[in-house]
Amino acid sequence: MSVTSSPEPGTAADRATRRPRAWPAGLDSRRRREAALGYLFIAPLVLWLVATILWPLAASVHLSLLDVRLIGTQGSFIGLDNYIRVLTDDRFWAAIGRSGIWILGNAVLQTVLAFSAALVLAQLFPGVRVARTLVILSWIVPTVVAVIFWRFLLNASGGGLINPLLIELGLTDDPVGFFSSGGSAMTSLIVINSWRWFPFITVILLAALLRVPSDLYEAAAIDGATAVQRFRYITVPMLQPTLFVVGLIGTLLSFNVFDIIWLITAGGPSSDTTTAPVMIYETAFKRFRLSIAAAMSVVTALILVAFALVFIRFAQPKEMG
Amino acid sequence: MKRSPGTAIARTLVLAMLTLFIVVPFYWVVAGSFRAPAEIIAREVIWFPQSVTFEHYENLLRQSPFPTYLLNSLIVAAGTMLATVVVSTLAAYGFYRLRFPGREWLFRATLLAYAFPGVLLIVPMYGMMSGLGLIDNLLSLIIINVTFAAPFAVWMMKVFFQTIPKELEEVAELDGATRLQVLTRILLPLAAPGVAAIGIFAFVMSWTEYMFASILILSDGLRTLPVGLAGIIGQYQIDWGLLLAGATLVTVPVVVLFTLIGRYFIAGMTAGAVK
Repeated sequence: MSVTSSPEPGTAADRATRRPRAWPAGLDSRRRREAALGYLFIAPLVLWLVATILWPLAASVHLSLLDVRLIGTQGSFIGLDNYIRVLTDDRFWAAIGRSGIWILGNAVLQTVLAFSAALVLAQLFPGVRVARTLVILSWIVPTVVAVIFWRFLLNASGGGLINPLLIELGLTDDPVGFFSSGGSAMTSLIVINSWRWFPFITVILLAALLRVPSDLYEAAAIDGATAVQRFRYITVPMLQPTLFVVGLIGTLLSFNVFDIIWLITAGGPSSDTTTAPVMIYETAFKRFRLSIAAAMSVVTALILVAFALVFIRFAQPKEMG
Repeated sequence: MKRSPGTAIARTLVLAMLTLFIVVPFYWVVAGSFRAPAEIIAREVIWFPQSVTFEHYENLLRQSPFPTYLLNSLIVAAGTMLATVVVSTLAAYGFYRLRFPGREWLFRATLLAYAFPGVLLIVPMYGMMSGLGLIDNLLSLIIINVTFAAPFAVWMMKVFFQTIPKELEEVAELDGATRLQVLTRILLPLAAPGVAAIGIFAFVMSWTEYMFASILILSDGLRTLPVGLAGIIGQYQIDWGLLLAGATLVTVPVVVLFTLIGRYFIAGMTAGAVK
């Protein structure tokens, strides 16, 4: 934020010294009017978010204490039964575990891709502007388009690109079914999701890289620092605040991914790619156990909050906060 | 600064990999949409189409419900755009130009809303929309899309408000203009590119949304493009030509719009993340 004044007027002593200055009464009423206007201007956004995020969350907690199954039916109060069922359900914990693998796999792959792309795009070379625009391409296409892309490219039953290529290169005799076994389905999905999301991280890293003062690198180069040393001792520390934010937001955004998985494997084969979001969706809208899905949402939300708190506690750079 | 030859080689390698990873898939899909059906499912790699046909586009526009989906998507995207622009511009003015207790805290809370996992809301959102009688109504999609577009749009506006000198507003206020007049007569005309940028951003967000659209809309005639296209994928026999043509047509407007606002968008992202 550009303005750094604290919301409160300050300490009592502070206030006492400030009062006798010019327009004592006028300043106060002016300030009060400005505050009222401020609330007025942000009210539509805040109310909108309260109505569509906070209120549904509260409704979710309520729903999780009932036994509603089919959408639109009434339920009766059953206390914490749904929570007991969810917390003792191995399949739920397996889905949380898969979400963990999903987040980790995406984090590693996207960090590698985004870092290499951003480090290159931060340099000046002919065509760098075009390259900086092109790198966003895969991120702005709708998910369903990304799904069509990759289902087609990885198609095993004629056509596609990867299988004909593999066969021509002699790497395989028969088309590979990328989504037919659990491990390779999960790996393929992580690659596809990273394809879609790494540009987002690239752009943020690129913006941060371009803000690192270039004389730092020059001074280090004069002192004989190697490229690796410059990266380790200049780039990484300068990027720390950005990496912290990206780590936190990126984790939440990648946890939230549902459509790519649902539209390619629908959680299969035999639930091997059923992450927590897929399970919640399936439980609510395919198996019609609305209250159980609500309880899963609440438990998952608590796990994410716990993760965020731990992450902030241990990863937040000292100068922030 | 001097670059070693090693850097140049590494750069070339990374650029080549990026090209393979991004440009080739796009080329393959767009080229595929013009190939004859037999060539699409050929078992060998045919880099340059041997046959050029528009039949998939004709099928898509004449025989499939694609035009209906397109219209629905346009309605939802336009509504989302309008509401996001109004709500976010007002909020950006409040956050960046006015002082009030709790401002910093509220601003951070809206940032959190951007990263909030929407999947945790689908169950209660269905209940809420059915309580409001908005199931199978495009309005429900507009409402939910604004929720996820508006917080980021507020960040994007920050950059634009920062470039406008405060003195300009102070002069107008001395002349007796109200705050709303200052916003609409002075700030908005100057921040017009920013308003356009958040409008397009909201449009694109709405254009790509699948999850909520898949549960809040029931009838085929009200489906949006992502759900409609996903329905075509799910059919018994996949018609790749039709899907590739559909994917190409859905992508074109997004790419065109984004090349227009790309740099504002990146500026907004930087403002939020690097802060």
